[in-house]
Amino acid sequence: MSRQSFVIIGNGPAANQAAESLRSQGSEAKITMLSKDSFRGYLPHLLPDFISGSIGEESLYFRPHAYYKEKNIFLRLGQKAVGIDFSKRRIFLEHREVISFDGLIIATGGKPRIPEYYQLFEDLMLTLKTPQDAKLWISKLKSVDSILMLGGDLTSLSLTRALLKMGKTIQFIINEDSFWPIPYSEEIYKAVAQRLESKGVQVVHCNKIRRVTQIDENLIEVDTDTCSVRTGAIGAFFGLVPDVRFLVRSGLDIDRGILVDEFLKTRFEDVFAVGDCAQVYHPALRNYWVSIGYQNAATLGKIAASNLLGSDLEALVAPESILDVGGVKVNTSWWTEF
Amino acid sequence: MTEVDFTVEVCGMAGDGTIAVGGLINEAMSLGAFSVLGFDSYPAEIRGFGRCVTNSRIGSSEIVALGEQAHALISLNDEQSRSRVPFLAEDCMVFFDSAPPTKVTEDKSLLSVLPPGAQIFGIPFGNLAVSAAGSARGRNLTALGGFAAVCGISPDLFREVIGKKFGSKGDHIVSVNLKSFDAGYEYSKSVFANRLGNIFSDVESNAASPRVMLSGNQAIGMAAIDAGLKLYFGYPITPATPIMEYLAKYLPKQGGRVVQMEDEISSIAAVLGGFYAGARAMTATSGPGFALMTELITHGVMAEIPAVIIDAQRGGPSTGLPTKTEQSDLHAAVFGGPGDSARIVIAPTNVSECYYFVLKSFQLAEKYQTPVIILTDFFLDNRVENVVAPKASEEQKACSNVFPEESSKDNYQRYHYSSSGISPRAIPGMEGFNFTATGLEHTEKGIPDYSPETHSRMTEKRHQKLFSALVDLKEPEEFLSGDSLDVGVIGWGSTFGSIVEAVQRLRKSGFSVGALKISSIFPLHSEIIRKFMAKSTVVLIPELNYEGQLANLIGHLDSKPVERLNLVTGTPMPTSVIQERIYQLMEVLAQ
Ligand SMILES: Cc1cc2nc3c(=O)[nH]c(=O)nc-3n(C[C@H](O)[C@H](O)[C@H](O)COP(=O)(O)OP(=O)(O)OC[C@H]3O[C@@H](n4cnc5c(N)ncnc54)[C@H](O)[C@@H]3O)c2cc1C
Repeated sequence: MSRQSFVIIGNGPAANQAAESLRSQGSEAKITMLSKDSFRGYLPHLLPDFISGSIGEESLYFRPHAYYKEKNIFLRLGQKAVGIDFSKRRIFLEHREVISFDGLIIATGGKPRIPEYYQLFEDLMLTLKTPQDAKLWISKLKSVDSILMLGGDLTSLSLTRALLKMGKTIQFIINEDSFWPIPYSEEIYKAVAQRLESKGVQVVHCNKIRRVTQIDENLIEVDTDTCSVRTGAIGAFFGLVPDVRFLVRSGLDIDRGILVDEFLKTRFEDVFAVGDCAQVYHPALRNYWVSIGYQNAATLGKIAASNLLGSDLEALVAPESILDVGGVKVNTSWWTEF
Repeated sequence: MTEVDFTVEVCGMAGDGTIAVGGLINEAMSLGAFSVLGFDSYPAEIRGFGRCVTNSRIGSSEIVALGEQAHALISLNDEQSRSRVPFLAEDCMVFFDSAPPTKVTEDKSLLSVLPPGAQIFGIPFGNLAVSAAGSARGRNLTALGGFAAVCGISPDLFREVIGKKFGSKGDHIVSVNLKSFDAGYEYSKSVFANRLGNIFSDVESNAASPRVMLSGNQAIGMAAIDAGLKLYFGYPITPATPIMEYLAKYLPKQGGRVVQMEDEISSIAAVLGGFYAGARAMTATSGPGFALMTELITHGVMAEIPAVIIDAQRGGPSTGLPTKTEQSDLHAAVFGGPGDSARIVIAPTNVSECYYFVLKSFQLAEKYQTPVIILTDFFLDNRVENVVAPKASEEQKACSNVFPEESSKDNYQRYHYSSSGISPRAIPGMEGFNFTATGLEHTEKGIPDYSPETHSRMTEKRHQKLFSALVDLKEPEEFLSGDSLDVGVIGWGSTFGSIVEAVQRLRKSGFSVGALKISSIFPLHSEIIRKFMAKSTVVLIPELNYEGQLANLIGHLDSKPVERLNLVTGTPMPTSVIQERIYQLMEVLAQ
């Protein structure tokens, strides 16, 4: 029998932990990791510090290439999966390559969420998920001094801190779309607004953005239902949504993310989904929950690896640690900042 | 100012336009005033099938050796390019076709075997070429455009060389190729906007101008024509054939003749005949052909007839490795053939020397009335360098035959004894200077004579003549040397570039190493070599042969044994291997 071939789509904490666990549990299978990003695995929480110049780019990355060589893991960066044929167990890559697999772990994570209403102005907004995004911020900040922040997720708060350190002027729009994955409440609004204002941030309260006009390369005018704001750049921070669009017609069950059972199995044999891209069934809640945070992602990666090798481990989460955010059940291991 | 030392490879199947792209890179970078050394490799089979790879090393300072690790790979055929992966730098840029006409399985994919540090640039080569120029044939130019954009090389350099290359085929072909190039350039500028580099801008190259791009074989052909070659006789053999092809194209325009003979024996016979009759004549061959020539070469030695013979070495023995490089004909060139048949053997180390050594060889052959063998090798013959345009002065072209004095008319002794061993040489047809030339041992008049005295004196005369030639032969040259050395490295031929680079790198790190280049292989400037060996605690001789042929020739000049570094991989000597060996020797010394 030829050597088994396992493929992991992703290079974030879930994928890396899965690969590491497969090897540490003695699997001698060929392991391939695919990442559509062309850079190494990185620590996103350091991106604001990178933008402000407090740390260099090298500090962002958590694993040297030598690690993968040593573990005999084929890390394929900058190579995007665009489809999967589960019946023939084949993955299609953007550059028209076809990869076969015996076992598959999908760990494609999340991508910045832009609420539907804001998608109209998407091309005028900067987001922050990858070092590439951070470089766009760095380049923009060379020519602008004022930034308008939309949304209020954890990333926006740490980036605001970094931008203030750089001497930039910040305006912040907070409304019901903000604070993902924390449910919006007047109480949180007040606490956050007060905190921001005490740091010199101008908090704009509005319900709707009516119009966004680009006046010139470095000047944008934003008309809201309460006022009009002029700024050099806009940052959109509404949390992350599972990055699974390329799988919508693959036959997988997808709601927000890929639906998996408590063993992280999809409906296809030997195919698992983990991390921010998955929605995990909770037998007690009889509902699916979304994972957020490194620790969660890594834990799920480890469980999926064990189960791919024949174990029957459950992804156990205490029901009380699962939040309801606008109807979506969320469990986050990313609390410390808030 | 930044220093550039950048190696780019192009890999594809024959028919993909691989060699064309490699050539355009060389030309464009030369135009940009960089120093360029390029080397293409083809399969051992007949051209037209199989993998082609070009390697171009581009530098702001003089490049003397091949690049070992590519910083960029342009893949025109991913399956073939998989073989290049071991030769890529960890963060190598890889340009590949992101939209091949058919799906590719993992076992044929280049990306599946690239190291994670590789920076990949997927460009739909074929599709872009089709939409820009109506045909996918220009996909190699599209790839080139992508390479230029990502590396920050001015597209104008490429546009100019594309115009030159395709100009003879008409405006339409030029425009189609330019469109394909531009399509790749513009696509990459926008798609990879965040990843564009400027490796080549900001660099003030110190390469002297004006420069021309020449291969070793072209330089040989050019030199022969500039020297006033009248007759070329040869039989095709890799890697010498391009010399004949070059001369077939250009020599007749200068009033000369190229004749393809039935074999190498008749080729050398005709060369001797040509020179005997007073015309400059030449042949070029490789090991197997050279073996066939040896008997007649010794005829030239005995009858004191000039000849110029290029031995373009390849892997041997016998048919060996026709398309691989080796330096294993040194013994054959110096010693091959019956009797005590000393002849002049010289070996250029780079393309420029190919020109000047061949130019000189005609004068040496004429003055010393003996065959002159020029040892090149596959790597030197086929590599291209942008050299300062070579030019022969009138003095360098002049005939250097020593004609007899008018006073010896009617009493002419063709093989007259002289202290230098040189006897004035008449050309048949010179009235009053008749003589007999024979392969038999002979008297001063040329009359066959086997007496002990004649053979002893004549043998000595012929050898004396060779040692007299030392004054006209290039002395060994020291590079980066000092009064005393821990390791002295001696080299010859195409390997010398790697030696100099290895020594250069080590000296920068403070090591006491130096190099000696020997380009006159026989006769040798023994005293100079001896002195270099004496001042070196360890002497290392790297060569591309198994037996250590130069080491065998000069090893006795010093009492300590020489260290040998012998490779028969069929590929040029890697600088890193020499460097590593020197390190090891230094470690032993330090103990
Ligand atoms: C700015 C920022 C700060 C954060 N700070 C914290 C923090 O302090 N603490 C914390 O716990 N969490 C933090 N998070 C959240 C945390 O980063 C995520 O929860 C975690 O990374 C999820 O891991 P993952 O492995 O599921 O996916 P990801 O880390 O998102 O990785 C997804 C991987 O999949 C690859 N991929 C996606 N689609 C494809 C495809 N089609 N083909 C091939 N590859 C694909 C991507 O290239 C990527 O490598 C932060 C997130 C951001 C954006």
